[in-house]
Amino acid sequence: MRELELYFGPQHMGMVGNFSITLKVEGDRILQAISNPGYLHRGFEKLMEYRTWIQNFPIVCRMNVVEPDSMEMIYAMGVEKLAGLEVPERAHYLRSVYLELARVGSHLFGLWAYSNMLGFDTVAQWAMYHRDLVLDLFEELTGGRVYHIYIWPGGVRRDFPKGFKDKIVSALHSIGGCVPDYNNTFFENRLFYDRAKGIGKISQKEAMELGAAGQVLRATGMKYDIRKIQPYAAYDKVDWEVPIREEGDAYSRILVIRDEMIESVHMIFKLLDVMPEGPVYHRIPNPFKWTIPRGDAYVRIESSRGELGLYLVSDGGDKPYRAHFRTPSYPHGLIILERLLKGASVADVGNIMISLYVVAPEIDR
Amino acid sequence: MDRNQIKKWLESPGKMGHKYSLWAVYFCTGCGIIEIPPVITSRWDAERFGVLPAPSPRQANLFLITGYVSVKTLKAIIKTYEQMPEPKYTVGFGSCPINGGMYWDSYNTIKHLDKYIPIDGWIAGCMPRPEAIFIAVTHLWTLIDKGMAKGYVKYRENYGRYRENQEKALGKLEWPRLFPIKDENE
Amino acid sequence: MNKEFKQELESIFRDITVNITDDVTPVIAAAKPQILAILRFLKDKGYGHLAMISCVDWLKEAQFELVYLVSAYLKGDNEEPGQEKITILLKTRIDRDNAELPTAIPVFENAEPYEREIHELFGIHFTGHPRLLPLFLEREYKIPPFRKDFDSREYVKEVFDKIPFVEDKE
Repeated sequence: MRELELYFGPQHMGMVGNFSITLKVEGDRILQAISNPGYLHRGFEKLMEYRTWIQNFPIVCRMNVVEPDSMEMIYAMGVEKLAGLEVPERAHYLRSVYLELARVGSHLFGLWAYSNMLGFDTVAQWAMYHRDLVLDLFEELTGGRVYHIYIWPGGVRRDFPKGFKDKIVSALHSIGGCVPDYNNTFFENRLFYDRAKGIGKISQKEAMELGAAGQVLRATGMKYDIRKIQPYAAYDKVDWEVPIREEGDAYSRILVIRDEMIESVHMIFKLLDVMPEGPVYHRIPNPFKWTIPRGDAYVRIESSRGELGLYLVSDGGDKPYRAHFRTPSYPHGLIILERLLKGASVADVGNIMISLYVVAPEIDR
Repeated sequence: MDRNQIKKWLESPGKMGHKYSLWAVYFCTGCGIIEIPPVITSRWDAERFGVLPAPSPRQANLFLITGYVSVKTLKAIIKTYEQMPEPKYTVGFGSCPINGGMYWDSYNTIKHLDKYIPIDGWIAGCMPRPEAIFIAVTHLWTLIDKGMAKGYVKYRENYGRYRENQEKALGKLEWPRLFPIKDENE
Repeated sequence: MNKEFKQELESIFRDITVNITDDVTPVIAAAKPQILAILRFLKDKGYGHLAMISCVDWLKEAQFELVYLVSAYLKGDNEEPGQEKITILLKTRIDRDNAELPTAIPVFENAEPYEREIHELFGIHFTGHPRLLPLFLEREYKIPPFRKDFDSREYVKEVFDKIPFVEDKE
């Protein structure tokens, strides 16, 4: 059979995000897949070198549009580590609640993308509506639906408004109340099972070789979660579990995402119960004159897609000398995707890509 | 439908037809795409305004350019735009296509998108709210009604200069010209 | 990271400095020829996760600093408890004029896109890398854009701002 070259994306119905894959196919089989990123490259890390420490906050959150909050968090953590800032106790809890809300929203978006791509339109509509409930909370808290800039070096920008706790609880109850419906129509649906079972299978050894993290690794049975192994914010203050699966295929990855979402909802309830009172931020120096002593720092957190790291260098000036983000989609989208697509069928390209939970702007930066 | 509309429908049914069924290209050009799924699903429901995503640019007549445009994306945008059948309308969504937005000093993003393809309207803000899309759509209706959404005509007439700008940003373009280029001096 | 590990490292590899400032991010500074051997040693010791490869351009000293960030995955029975909390920063400095390094792909397979990115954005050549093709960029730049002597603002003024608007003819 003749070997053909097939361009998949960026303008393609099966593609979520501005990303493209070049496929060498023979009939329906993929012989070779080449990821082709760069459609969203803005040179963030270069732009950050031109802006002061505080001016960078609006920039960093735009790096991952689906979950901007973990980007704020990691940059704030990097600045705090370099400058030696302390964070008040209550702010740790507020950060955790906020990040978990963002995780729920982000997973619902992922659920939308996956179900929409597979043709489960009902589930897609529900997921998008439920994500909007989370966005409404963010809007009340910060004024922005998508970009919030809530986390700040030395704490958070403001405390939760009056009655906000009840709103979180009621929004999460209406999301959690629909989990049985999601199960019936999507997760335990035979049609979905047949589409996703055994697709994009990766073994734990291979995932470790290729630098995987997040759901891709947890779906192969390793409880690798930065929130557990190197706790930040208030994740060590409450009791929670890291959901895992053993199979390592697309089906188990999406089930890990579902279980994580449920775990996050429970975690928010627990955090809200034990949250202490007190101040929510420590004053930072005058941002126009703020300089940070020479040095470098590496911090990492668990974003909704896996291990997110930041290597931040200061040369003693008022701007970062160098910032480099380790984004979870980077190894997933560039090496693991290429590896998993080899030998797969063309119809499964979108399936595998979305099940790896790749967000294109995170790769390109 | 009110009485005034009947006259319009009888006079130019084609125009009224495409005005009320704007099919948007399914192309995620930037971070603005995050607001498109809420808009096309049940809560904001863009179908009330006749807007739905189309699977291919050949069947679409509305191009929402959602967010910043990097040089590599510009190439894809021009290709997609040239594939769309006329009449076609383009709307720049977000601050970044207008003047670069917060990426005004980035070496890899396009600052003014209307230097490369014609734009019929802009939605400012980062991120614009879903309501802003509906305001833009209703504005676009007015522009179509008055015959002012003529970006595609402008593109045809000034194709030489657009192509020149595109080649300045992207280098030599490997696809053939869409229209014959008239000599400017004639 | 404990003292014994530091001593072991220093006894095997000469001319390296191990600096333990805090518990979680020890810094190893080594010369260019030793990098691959140290990476392989760390991998055998259980630090099997290359988180990323970063690069810093120190213009004043006319050097590039390559930073390999290596951490550990979880194992069934961890030989060294608390190992997964540690991220080792392995640093090496190379000359700006002769920016060349051996590739780390033989040790860590996932080094491939990181090295490709550094090659594109900093102009550092990795010998033995199978595909040093452009990753992100479409235009060609005389100076790789992430180097400190590349002025992004000047570039925007020179290139994008000089493209004229298309006005309607009267």
